[in-house]
Amino acid sequence: MADKQVTRGKALTLQGFKLLIVEDYPFMADLMGSMLREFGVGNIFQAISVAEAKEMLILFNTEMDPRSAIDMVITDWLMPGTSSGTDLISWVREHRKDTVKFLPVILCSAYASEDLVKVARDCGANEALVKPVSANSLAKRLLHVINNPRPFLQAPDFFGPDRRRREEEYDGEEQRKIQPEEIKEFHERL
Amino acid sequence: MSDSEKEVKVYHRINRLKLKAGADLDDVPGHLDPSVIKRAQGVVQRHEDLYMDEVERVLIALETSWDAAIKGSEEEAVKESLDGLYHDANHVKDIASTFGYELMQHFGESLREFAEKIDIANKAHHTIVQAHIDVMWVVFHEKIKDHGGPTAEELKKIVVLAIEKYS
Repeated sequence: MADKQVTRGKALTLQGFKLLIVEDYPFMADLMGSMLREFGVGNIFQAISVAEAKEMLILFNTEMDPRSAIDMVITDWLMPGTSSGTDLISWVREHRKDTVKFLPVILCSAYASEDLVKVARDCGANEALVKPVSANSLAKRLLHVINNPRPFLQAPDFFGPDRRRREEEYDGEEQRKIQPEEIKEFHERL
Repeated sequence: MSDSEKEVKVYHRINRLKLKAGADLDDVPGHLDPSVIKRAQGVVQRHEDLYMDEVERVLIALETSWDAAIKGSEEEAVKESLDGLYHDANHVKDIASTFGYELMQHFGESLREFAEKIDIANKAHHTIVQAHIDVMWVVFHEKIKDHGGPTAEELKKIVVLAIEKYS
């Protein structure tokens, strides 16, 4: 039993986390917020539109003390008006400040999971969360972002988390046209 | 494209979230205490008590959006009302799927999909939207959960026939 505990790693505490939920439907935002509070997340903010989310990210992640920065965004895909969750992610990834552009984002939608995963991956989301959201599915995606962050790629037509999640050998047609000497690796240090 | 533009940069960032969650960088993946996940699922169950009131509110909003769309005279206002209808239908789908009201979910999704192609000048499209709204109210008043049995099949047929006949 003790061995199993060690293999699973520590029980994480999310008290210090600040999460932003971007969802136009307040009922679903409240439901997700309540679940996150049960997980122990200390600060949960809600935005009902992409415009409001951008304002909050500018305020918390560029203008205030870095310790006040939002740590993660969970955004719905479909929202009224001209901006969707994918537009928000594109804005995040194109931001000039690292405190915004490297922000982990989970894209959430009721669309079929294969469609959602493809859209999420290509727009620079870290994870995709399929509705209906259960406590288990939310915890799983949240833990994946915390435990298994992927490196970020800056390619000519893409910036975001590496779209190849698995580390095993890829046996499909090679889509990357980059030679090894054209890849530069940057390791951040504490 | 210059060589530097062709370059791919790979950024290996420090996992600050892991540190913030109380783990060390080289720790094996952490977990959430199962009791908090159970409590969070309890939140979903408690919210189910609000389902009937909430879905009624969204259905009223949806009907109001549709009413505004068919009575609207300015293109922009009609477009806005149809956008409202689309998102209200999506909300019905979201809330119904969350609490296992599969028939309501089915009609919410069907209306959301149809809302993407509504031609407001086409009277047949009015009939299809109205058929959706009517059956959603029946599902609401009858409190049909899950698939809903023979009644559900009848309601689905009404909508399918309306779509086949008028679209």
